[in-house]
Amino acid sequence: MIMRFLTNIAPVKAIAFVAFVMAPGLAATAAAQARQVPVPSGSFHSVMPEVKGEPISVDAFYMDATAVTNEMFEAFTAENKQWQPGEVPSVFANSKYLEHWNGVRPDYDKTGANRPVTHVSWFAASAYCQWSGGRLPSLNEWEYSAQLMDFDSPEEAGRFTARLMGWYSSVDTNKSAPVGSTGIETRHGVKDQFGLIMEWVQDFKPPVADGLSLDCGTVGRMQQLGNAYSYAASIRYITRMSYRPVTTTATMGFRCAYDINDKPETATAKQ
Amino acid sequence: MKILSFILLMMACVTGLSAQHHHEKDSAPGAREINSQHSLYHLDAGWADHRGDSLALSDFRGEPVIAVMFYGNCTQVCPILIQDAWRLYSMLDDSERASVNVLAITFDTENDTPERLRAYAEREQLDIPGWHFMTSRPASVRNLAMMLGVQYSGKSDGHFAHSNLITVLDKQGRVAIRVEGLNQPMDEAAGTIRSIINNGEL
Repeated sequence: MIMRFLTNIAPVKAIAFVAFVMAPGLAATAAAQARQVPVPSGSFHSVMPEVKGEPISVDAFYMDATAVTNEMFEAFTAENKQWQPGEVPSVFANSKYLEHWNGVRPDYDKTGANRPVTHVSWFAASAYCQWSGGRLPSLNEWEYSAQLMDFDSPEEAGRFTARLMGWYSSVDTNKSAPVGSTGIETRHGVKDQFGLIMEWVQDFKPPVADGLSLDCGTVGRMQQLGNAYSYAASIRYITRMSYRPVTTTATMGFRCAYDINDKPETATAKQ
Repeated sequence: MKILSFILLMMACVTGLSAQHHHEKDSAPGAREINSQHSLYHLDAGWADHRGDSLALSDFRGEPVIAVMFYGNCTQVCPILIQDAWRLYSMLDDSERASVNVLAITFDTENDTPERLRAYAEREQLDIPGWHFMTSRPASVRNLAMMLGVQYSGKSDGHFAHSNLITVLDKQGRVAIRVEGLNQPMDEAAGTIRSIINNGEL
Protein backbone atom coordinates (compact mmCIF):
# COMPACT_ATOMS: atom_id res chain seq x y z
CA MET A 1 0.00 0.00 0.00
CA ILE A 2 1.37 3.37 -0.96
CA MET A 3 0.89 6.12 1.59
CA ARG A 4 0.43 9.66 0.62
CA PHE A 5 3.09 11.39 2.64
CA LEU A 6 2.54 14.93 1.57
CA THR A 7 -0.16 16.68 -0.31
CA ASN A 8 2.19 17.85 -3.02
CA ILE A 9 4.92 15.54 -4.10
CA ALA A 10 6.60 16.49 -7.34
CA PRO A 11 10.04 15.79 -8.79
CA VAL A 12 12.64 18.07 -7.34
CA LYS A 13 13.73 18.94 -10.89
CA ALA A 14 10.54 20.92 -11.23
CA ILE A 15 12.30 23.76 -9.43
CA ALA A 16 13.87 25.23 -12.53
CA PHE A 17 14.43 28.68 -11.16
CA VAL A 18 12.86 31.08 -8.74
CA ALA A 19 12.26 34.65 -9.75
CA PHE A 20 12.60 37.22 -7.03
CA VAL A 21 10.18 40.04 -7.57
CA MET A 22 9.75 43.11 -5.48
CA ALA A 23 6.18 43.96 -4.59
CA PRO A 24 5.17 47.55 -5.33
CA GLY A 25 4.44 50.27 -2.85
CA LEU A 26 7.13 49.65 -0.27
CA ALA A 27 7.68 52.22 2.40
CA ALA A 28 10.58 50.68 4.25
CA THR A 29 14.22 51.19 3.40
CA ALA A 30 15.81 48.61 1.14
CA ALA A 31 18.11 47.37 3.90
CA ALA A 32 15.11 46.43 5.99
CA GLN A 33 13.46 44.27 3.38
CA ALA A 34 13.59 40.56 2.97
CA ARG A 35 13.50 39.13 -0.53
CA GLN A 36 9.93 38.59 -1.58
CA VAL A 37 8.92 35.65 -3.69
CA PRO A 38 5.68 35.16 -5.58
CA VAL A 39 3.51 32.30 -4.40
CA PRO A 40 1.06 31.31 -7.15
CA SER A 41 -2.60 30.65 -6.41
CA GLY A 42 -3.70 27.16 -5.49
CA SER A 43 -5.49 25.21 -2.84
CA PHE A 44 -4.81 22.96 0.11
CA HIS A 45 -6.63 20.83 2.65
CA SER A 46 -6.88 22.30 6.12
CA VAL A 47 -6.74 20.17 9.25
CA MET A 48 -9.46 22.26 10.88
CA PRO A 49 -12.48 20.08 11.67
CA GLU A 50 -15.07 22.47 10.28
CA VAL A 51 -13.65 22.73 6.80
CA LYS A 52 -13.85 19.07 5.94
CA GLY A 53 -13.93 18.14 2.29
CA GLU A 54 -13.54 21.24 0.20
CA PRO A 55 -9.96 22.36 -0.28
CA ILE A 56 -9.24 25.95 0.70
CA SER A 57 -8.27 28.07 -2.28
CA VAL A 58 -5.67 30.76 -1.88
CA ASP A 59 -5.04 33.67 -4.25
CA ALA A 60 -1.54 34.43 -5.47
CA PHE A 61 0.51 36.63 -3.14
CA TYR A 62 4.08 37.59 -2.33
CA MET A 63 5.81 36.40 0.78
CA ASP A 64 9.16 37.15 2.39
CA ALA A 65 11.57 34.37 1.51
CA THR A 66 12.89 34.45 5.08
CA ALA A 67 11.70 35.59 8.50
CA VAL A 68 12.26 39.16 9.67
CA THR A 69 15.66 39.42 11.38
CA ASN A 70 16.83 41.32 14.45
CA GLU A 71 18.64 43.76 12.17
CA MET A 72 15.56 44.37 10.03
CA PHE A 73 13.40 44.86 13.08
CA GLU A 74 15.89 47.31 14.52
CA ALA A 75 15.59 49.41 11.36
CA PHE A 76 11.84 49.49 12.05
CA THR A 77 12.15 50.46 15.72
CA ALA A 78 14.75 53.10 14.86
CA GLU A 79 12.24 54.79 12.56
CA ASN A 80 9.27 54.12 14.80
CA LYS A 81 10.31 54.97 18.34
CA GLN A 82 6.94 53.93 19.73
CA TRP A 83 7.96 50.33 18.98
CA GLN A 84 11.29 50.48 20.79
CA PRO A 85 11.68 48.35 23.91
CA GLY A 86 10.23 50.21 26.90
CA GLU A 87 7.99 52.40 24.74
CA VAL A 88 5.28 49.90 23.88
CA PRO A 89 2.07 50.08 25.94
CA SER A 90 1.08 46.78 27.49
CA VAL A 91 -2.02 46.77 25.35
CA PHE A 92 0.30 46.00 22.38
CA ALA A 93 2.89 43.66 23.91
CA ASN A 94 3.62 41.93 27.20
CA SER A 95 6.63 42.71 29.37
CA LYS A 96 8.94 40.30 27.54
CA TYR A 97 8.83 42.38 24.34
CA LEU A 98 12.30 42.28 22.73
CA GLU A 99 13.77 41.24 26.07
CA HIS A 100 16.63 39.43 24.31
CA TRP A 101 17.86 42.76 22.93
CA ASN A 102 18.77 43.92 26.44
CA GLY A 103 18.13 47.52 25.52
CA VAL A 104 16.95 49.78 22.76
CA ARG A 105 19.49 48.37 20.32
CA PRO A 106 20.27 44.67 20.14
CA ASP A 107 23.69 43.38 21.03
CA TYR A 108 24.31 41.54 17.77
CA ASP A 109 27.14 39.48 19.23
CA LYS A 110 24.51 37.85 21.39
CA THR A 111 21.32 38.13 19.35
CA GLY A 112 22.75 37.73 15.85
CA ALA A 113 21.90 40.31 13.19
CA ASN A 114 20.63 37.64 10.82
CA ARG A 115 18.74 35.55 13.31
CA PRO A 116 14.97 35.86 13.23
CA VAL A 117 13.59 38.48 15.59
CA THR A 118 11.53 36.87 18.36
CA HIS A 119 9.89 38.23 21.53
CA VAL A 120 7.60 40.25 19.28
CA SER A 121 3.85 40.46 19.80
CA TRP A 122 1.27 40.08 17.07
CA PHE A 123 0.69 43.84 17.18
CA ALA A 124 4.40 44.56 16.71
CA ALA A 125 4.67 42.06 13.87
CA SER A 126 1.61 43.54 12.19
CA ALA A 127 2.95 47.08 12.58
CA TYR A 128 6.29 46.06 11.06
CA CYS A 129 4.62 44.51 8.04
CA GLN A 130 2.48 47.58 7.44
CA TRP A 131 5.59 49.74 7.67
CA SER A 132 7.30 47.53 5.11
CA GLY A 133 4.39 47.96 2.69
CA GLY A 134 2.79 44.60 3.37
CA ARG A 135 0.83 42.72 5.97
CA LEU A 136 1.08 39.52 7.96
CA PRO A 137 0.27 36.47 5.85
CA SER A 138 -3.14 34.99 6.52
CA LEU A 139 -3.20 31.64 8.27
CA ASN A 140 -4.34 30.00 5.04
CA GLU A 141 -1.62 31.68 2.97
CA TRP A 142 1.06 30.58 5.41
CA GLU A 143 -0.17 27.00 5.63
CA TYR A 144 -0.70 26.78 1.88
CA SER A 145 2.84 27.94 1.19
CA ALA A 146 4.28 25.61 3.83
CA GLN A 147 3.06 22.48 2.09
CA LEU A 148 4.41 23.40 -1.35
CA MET A 149 7.46 21.22 -0.82
CA ASP A 150 9.09 18.87 -3.30
CA PHE A 151 10.71 15.59 -2.40
CA ASP A 152 12.71 13.15 -4.48
CA SER A 153 10.95 10.14 -3.04
CA PRO A 154 8.31 9.08 -0.53
CA GLU A 155 11.18 7.96 1.70
CA GLU A 156 12.64 11.43 1.74
CA ALA A 157 9.22 12.88 2.47
CA GLY A 158 8.87 10.41 5.32
CA ARG A 159 12.22 11.40 6.78
CA PHE A 160 11.26 15.05 6.54
CA THR A 161 7.96 14.60 8.37
CA ALA A 162 9.70 12.63 11.10
CA ARG A 163 12.16 15.51 11.51
CA LEU A 164 9.24 17.91 11.60
CA MET A 165 7.55 16.02 14.41
CA GLY A 166 10.79 16.01 16.36
CA TRP A 167 11.19 19.72 15.88
CA TYR A 168 7.69 20.57 17.03
CA SER A 169 8.08 18.47 20.15
CA SER A 170 11.17 20.39 21.23
CA VAL A 171 11.69 23.82 19.69
CA ASP A 172 15.03 24.86 21.13
CA THR A 173 14.89 28.52 22.06
CA ASN A 174 18.59 28.69 22.88
CA LYS A 175 19.77 27.38 19.57
CA SER A 176 18.45 30.02 17.22
CA ALA A 177 20.12 29.99 13.82
CA PRO A 178 20.32 32.62 11.06
CA VAL A 179 17.43 32.87 8.62
CA GLY A 180 17.83 30.74 5.51
CA SER A 181 19.98 28.22 7.36
CA THR A 182 17.58 25.30 7.75
CA GLY A 183 17.85 24.13 4.15
CA ILE A 184 14.06 23.76 4.20
CA GLU A 185 12.57 25.55 1.21
CA THR A 186 9.35 25.41 -0.76
CA ARG A 187 9.39 25.00 -4.50
CA HIS A 188 8.80 28.76 -4.75
CA GLY A 189 11.80 29.67 -2.62
CA VAL A 190 10.12 30.37 0.72
CA LYS A 191 12.61 29.24 3.36
CA ASP A 192 12.50 28.01 6.96
CA GLN A 193 8.75 27.74 7.40
CA PHE A 194 9.73 24.89 9.68
CA GLY A 195 12.79 24.24 11.75
CA LEU A 196 13.60 27.77 12.91
CA ILE A 197 10.75 29.55 14.72
CA MET A 198 6.99 29.66 15.03
CA GLU A 199 5.51 32.53 13.02
CA TRP A 200 2.65 34.97 13.57
CA VAL A 201 -0.12 35.02 11.01
CA GLN A 202 -2.84 37.61 10.56
CA ASP A 203 -5.69 35.46 11.90
CA PHE A 204 -3.79 33.14 14.20
CA LYS A 205 -6.95 32.46 16.17
CA PRO A 206 -9.48 31.46 13.54
CA PRO A 207 -13.12 31.36 14.62
CA VAL A 208 -13.84 27.79 15.58
CA ALA A 209 -16.86 25.80 16.60
CA ASP A 210 -17.92 26.21 20.22
CA GLY A 211 -16.89 22.68 21.12
CA LEU A 212 -13.32 23.19 19.95
CA SER A 213 -11.25 23.98 22.98
CA LEU A 214 -7.56 23.98 23.59
CA ASP A 215 -6.66 20.52 24.69
CA CYS A 216 -5.04 17.45 23.29
CA GLY A 217 -8.42 15.88 22.66
CA THR A 218 -8.94 18.67 20.15
CA VAL A 219 -5.79 17.68 18.32
CA GLY A 220 -7.11 14.14 18.22
CA ARG A 221 -10.32 15.37 16.61
CA MET A 222 -8.49 17.32 13.94
CA GLN A 223 -8.55 15.79 10.53
CA GLN A 224 -6.06 13.14 9.70
CA LEU A 225 -5.42 13.66 6.04
CA GLY A 226 -3.49 10.45 5.66
CA ASN A 227 -0.12 12.11 5.83
CA ALA A 228 2.23 12.84 8.67
CA TYR A 229 2.35 16.47 7.61
CA SER A 230 -1.17 16.95 8.90
CA TYR A 231 -0.16 15.91 12.43
CA ALA A 232 2.46 18.62 12.55
CA ALA A 233 -0.09 21.06 11.15
CA SER A 234 -2.52 20.15 13.92
CA ILE A 235 0.08 20.95 16.54
CA ARG A 236 0.74 24.27 14.83
CA TYR A 237 -2.93 25.24 14.80
CA ILE A 238 -3.39 24.32 18.45
CA THR A 239 -0.25 26.14 19.57
CA ARG A 240 -1.24 29.28 17.67
CA MET A 241 -4.68 29.25 19.22
CA SER A 242 -3.13 29.29 22.67
CA TYR A 243 -1.42 32.63 22.03
CA ARG A 244 -2.78 36.07 22.79
CA PRO A 245 -1.97 38.99 20.45
CA VAL A 246 0.26 40.56 23.14
CA THR A 247 2.20 37.34 23.68
CA THR A 248 5.94 37.49 23.10
CA THR A 249 8.06 34.36 23.33
CA ALA A 250 11.55 33.26 22.37
CA THR A 251 10.13 31.00 19.67
CA MET A 252 7.68 33.36 17.99
CA GLY A 253 8.75 35.55 15.08
CA PHE A 254 7.18 36.42 11.74
CA ARG A 255 7.53 37.20 8.06
CA CYS A 256 5.38 39.49 5.91
CA ALA A 257 3.18 38.96 2.88
CA TYR A 258 2.10 41.36 0.15
CA ASP A 259 -0.88 41.60 -2.17
CA ILE A 260 -0.14 41.06 -5.85
CA ASN A 261 -2.20 44.05 -6.86
CA ASP A 262 -1.75 46.92 -4.49
CA LYS A 263 -5.39 47.89 -4.52
CA PRO A 264 -6.33 51.50 -3.90
CA GLU A 265 -8.02 52.21 -0.59
CA THR A 266 -11.74 51.52 -0.68
CA ALA A 267 -12.36 53.41 2.51
CA THR A 268 -11.92 57.15 2.56
CA ALA A 269 -10.38 56.87 6.01
CA LYS A 270 -7.34 59.00 6.70
CA GLN A 271 -4.03 57.20 7.06
CA MET B 1 1.65 3.42 11.11
CA LYS B 2 -1.47 5.37 11.87
CA ILE B 3 -1.38 4.40 15.53
CA LEU B 4 2.30 5.23 15.79
CA SER B 5 1.68 8.64 14.27
CA PHE B 6 -1.15 9.22 16.69
CA ILE B 7 1.06 8.42 19.66
CA LEU B 8 3.74 10.73 18.27
CA LEU B 9 1.13 13.41 17.93
CA MET B 10 -0.03 13.05 21.50
CA MET B 11 3.54 13.25 22.77
CA ALA B 12 4.24 16.32 20.72
CA CYS B 13 0.99 17.83 21.84
CA VAL B 14 1.77 17.40 25.52
CA THR B 15 5.33 18.70 25.24
CA GLY B 16 4.25 21.53 22.98
CA LEU B 17 1.61 22.73 25.36
CA SER B 18 3.78 22.45 28.44
CA ALA B 19 6.41 24.52 26.66
CA GLN B 20 3.63 26.95 25.92
CA HIS B 21 2.71 27.31 29.57
CA HIS B 22 6.33 27.87 30.40
CA HIS B 23 6.57 30.80 27.99
CA GLU B 24 3.21 32.35 28.79
CA LYS B 25 3.96 33.45 32.31
CA ASP B 26 1.83 36.54 32.00
CA SER B 27 -1.27 34.84 30.74
CA ALA B 28 -3.25 35.34 33.94
CA PRO B 29 -6.37 36.89 32.35
CA GLY B 30 -6.83 33.87 30.09
CA ALA B 31 -6.26 33.47 26.42
CA ARG B 32 -9.45 35.05 25.19
CA GLU B 33 -9.81 37.92 27.59
CA ILE B 34 -8.71 41.50 27.21
CA ASN B 35 -7.10 43.12 30.18
CA SER B 36 -9.43 46.00 31.01
CA GLN B 37 -6.59 48.07 32.44
CA HIS B 38 -5.66 48.80 28.86
CA SER B 39 -7.11 51.40 26.57
CA LEU B 40 -8.06 50.65 22.99
CA TYR B 41 -7.44 54.28 22.21
CA HIS B 42 -3.76 53.49 21.69
CA LEU B 43 -4.94 52.52 18.21
CA ASP B 44 -4.36 55.63 16.15
CA ALA B 45 -5.81 54.41 12.87
CA GLY B 46 -8.22 56.51 10.85
CA TRP B 47 -11.80 55.40 10.29
CA ALA B 48 -14.65 56.50 8.07
CA ASP B 49 -18.28 56.21 9.13
CA HIS B 50 -21.52 55.88 7.16
CA ARG B 51 -21.92 59.66 7.16
CA GLY B 52 -18.60 59.97 5.36
CA ASP B 53 -16.93 61.52 8.42
CA SER B 54 -13.31 60.76 9.29
CA LEU B 55 -12.91 59.51 12.83
CA ALA B 56 -10.35 58.20 15.29
CA LEU B 57 -11.37 55.80 18.04
CA SER B 58 -10.04 58.26 20.59
CA ASP B 59 -12.68 60.77 19.42
CA PHE B 60 -15.04 58.79 21.66
CA ARG B 61 -12.91 59.22 24.76
CA GLY B 62 -14.99 60.55 27.67
CA GLU B 63 -18.14 58.62 26.84
CA PRO B 64 -19.01 54.93 27.04
CA VAL B 65 -18.98 53.01 23.77
CA ILE B 66 -20.91 49.97 22.61
CA ALA B 67 -18.75 48.21 19.99
CA VAL B 68 -19.90 45.45 17.68
CA MET B 69 -18.19 43.95 14.63
CA PHE B 70 -20.24 42.73 11.65
CA TYR B 71 -20.39 42.95 7.86
CA GLY B 72 -23.08 44.16 5.51
CA ASN B 73 -23.52 41.08 3.32
CA CYS B 74 -24.11 38.92 6.37
CA THR B 75 -27.84 38.34 6.27
CA GLN B 76 -28.34 35.70 8.93
CA VAL B 77 -26.28 36.30 12.03
CA CYS B 78 -25.28 39.95 11.75
CA PRO B 79 -28.80 41.44 11.79
CA ILE B 80 -29.29 39.63 15.11
CA LEU B 81 -25.97 40.95 16.35
CA ILE B 82 -26.89 44.51 15.36
CA GLN B 83 -30.31 44.03 16.96
CA ASP B 84 -28.55 42.90 20.13
CA ALA B 85 -26.62 46.17 20.14
CA TRP B 86 -29.89 48.01 19.63
CA ARG B 87 -31.52 46.03 22.44
CA LEU B 88 -28.74 47.12 24.79
CA TYR B 89 -28.96 50.73 23.59
CA SER B 90 -32.75 50.81 23.93
CA MET B 91 -32.57 49.75 27.58
CA LEU B 92 -31.05 53.16 28.31
CA ASP B 93 -33.19 56.23 28.86
CA ASP B 94 -32.99 59.28 26.61
CA SER B 95 -30.41 61.15 28.64
CA GLU B 96 -28.23 58.05 28.92
CA ARG B 97 -28.47 57.39 25.19
CA ALA B 98 -27.32 60.91 24.52
CA SER B 99 -23.93 60.13 26.05
CA VAL B 100 -23.39 56.70 24.53
CA ASN B 101 -21.80 55.95 21.15
CA VAL B 102 -22.46 52.77 19.23
CA LEU B 103 -19.70 51.66 16.86
CA ALA B 104 -20.63 48.99 14.35
CA ILE B 105 -17.38 48.06 12.63
CA THR B 106 -17.32 46.05 9.42
CA PHE B 107 -14.95 43.16 8.65
CA ASP B 108 -15.67 43.59 4.97
CA THR B 109 -13.46 46.55 4.09
CA GLU B 110 -13.73 45.72 0.41
CA ASN B 111 -17.51 45.88 0.01
CA ASP B 112 -18.67 47.97 2.96
CA THR B 113 -17.78 51.43 1.72
CA PRO B 114 -19.16 54.40 3.67
CA GLU B 115 -21.94 54.58 1.04
CA ARG B 116 -22.86 50.92 1.50
CA LEU B 117 -22.75 51.36 5.26
CA ARG B 118 -25.08 54.34 4.96
CA ALA B 119 -27.55 52.24 2.99
CA TYR B 120 -27.23 49.52 5.62
CA ALA B 121 -27.85 51.95 8.48
CA GLU B 122 -30.91 53.37 6.73
CA ARG B 123 -32.28 49.92 5.94
CA GLU B 124 -31.90 48.90 9.59
CA GLN B 125 -33.39 52.26 10.66
CA LEU B 126 -30.29 52.93 12.69
CA ASP B 127 -29.01 56.10 11.01
CA ILE B 128 -29.46 57.85 14.33
CA PRO B 129 -27.24 60.20 16.37
CA GLY B 130 -24.49 58.40 18.27
CA TRP B 131 -24.47 55.41 15.92
CA HIS B 132 -21.48 54.99 13.62
CA PHE B 133 -21.17 52.25 11.02
CA MET B 134 -17.45 52.27 10.41
CA THR B 135 -14.77 50.98 8.08
CA SER B 136 -11.02 51.40 7.78
CA ARG B 137 -7.99 49.72 6.25
CA PRO B 138 -7.98 45.93 6.61
CA ALA B 139 -5.01 46.04 9.00
CA SER B 140 -6.76 48.56 11.27
CA VAL B 141 -9.91 46.44 11.41
CA ARG B 142 -7.79 43.40 12.27
CA ASN B 143 -5.96 45.36 14.98
CA LEU B 144 -9.22 46.44 16.59
CA ALA B 145 -10.61 42.90 16.41
CA MET B 146 -7.48 41.60 18.14
CA MET B 147 -7.92 44.14 20.92
CA LEU B 148 -11.61 43.33 21.37
CA GLY B 149 -10.95 39.58 21.15
CA VAL B 150 -13.13 39.22 18.07
CA GLN B 151 -12.02 36.38 15.81
CA TYR B 152 -12.83 36.45 12.12
CA SER B 153 -11.58 35.11 8.85
CA GLY B 154 -12.68 35.76 5.30
CA LYS B 155 -13.98 32.83 3.33
CA SER B 156 -13.57 32.31 -0.40
CA ASP B 157 -17.29 32.94 -1.01
CA GLY B 158 -16.94 36.51 0.27
CA HIS B 159 -18.49 35.77 3.65
CA PHE B 160 -16.76 35.84 7.02
CA ALA B 161 -16.63 33.37 9.85
CA HIS B 162 -16.62 35.49 13.01
CA SER B 163 -17.29 35.53 16.72
CA ASN B 164 -20.43 37.25 17.96
CA LEU B 165 -19.46 39.75 20.56
CA ILE B 166 -20.72 43.04 21.96
CA THR B 167 -18.22 45.04 23.99
CA VAL B 168 -18.78 48.05 26.24
CA LEU B 169 -15.82 50.43 26.58
CA ASP B 170 -15.49 52.83 29.47
CA LYS B 171 -14.65 56.53 29.16
CA GLN B 172 -10.96 55.74 28.68
CA GLY B 173 -11.54 53.10 26.04
CA ARG B 174 -10.94 50.14 28.31
CA VAL B 175 -13.07 47.04 27.97
CA ALA B 176 -15.73 47.28 30.70
CA ILE B 177 -17.88 44.28 29.84
CA ARG B 178 -18.14 41.75 27.01
CA VAL B 179 -21.32 39.96 25.97
CA GLU B 180 -20.53 36.85 23.96
CA GLY B 181 -23.04 35.07 21.75
CA LEU B 182 -26.33 36.02 20.13
CA ASN B 183 -29.55 36.96 21.93
CA GLN B 184 -27.88 37.26 25.30
CA PRO B 185 -29.43 39.14 28.25
CA MET B 186 -28.27 42.76 28.22
CA ASP B 187 -29.27 43.88 31.72
CA GLU B 188 -25.78 43.60 33.16
CA ALA B 189 -24.22 45.47 30.23
CA ALA B 190 -26.87 48.21 30.55
CA GLY B 191 -26.06 48.49 34.25
CA THR B 192 -22.36 48.78 33.41
CA ILE B 193 -23.07 51.62 30.96
CA ARG B 194 -25.15 53.47 33.58
CA SER B 195 -22.42 53.21 36.17
CA ILE B 196 -19.84 54.45 33.64
CA ILE B 197 -22.05 57.44 32.82
CA ASN B 198 -22.66 58.22 36.49
CA ASN B 199 -19.01 57.92 37.37
CA GLY B 200 -17.73 61.50 37.20
CA GLU B 201 -14.12 60.61 36.50
CA LEU B 202 -12.85 60.45 32.98
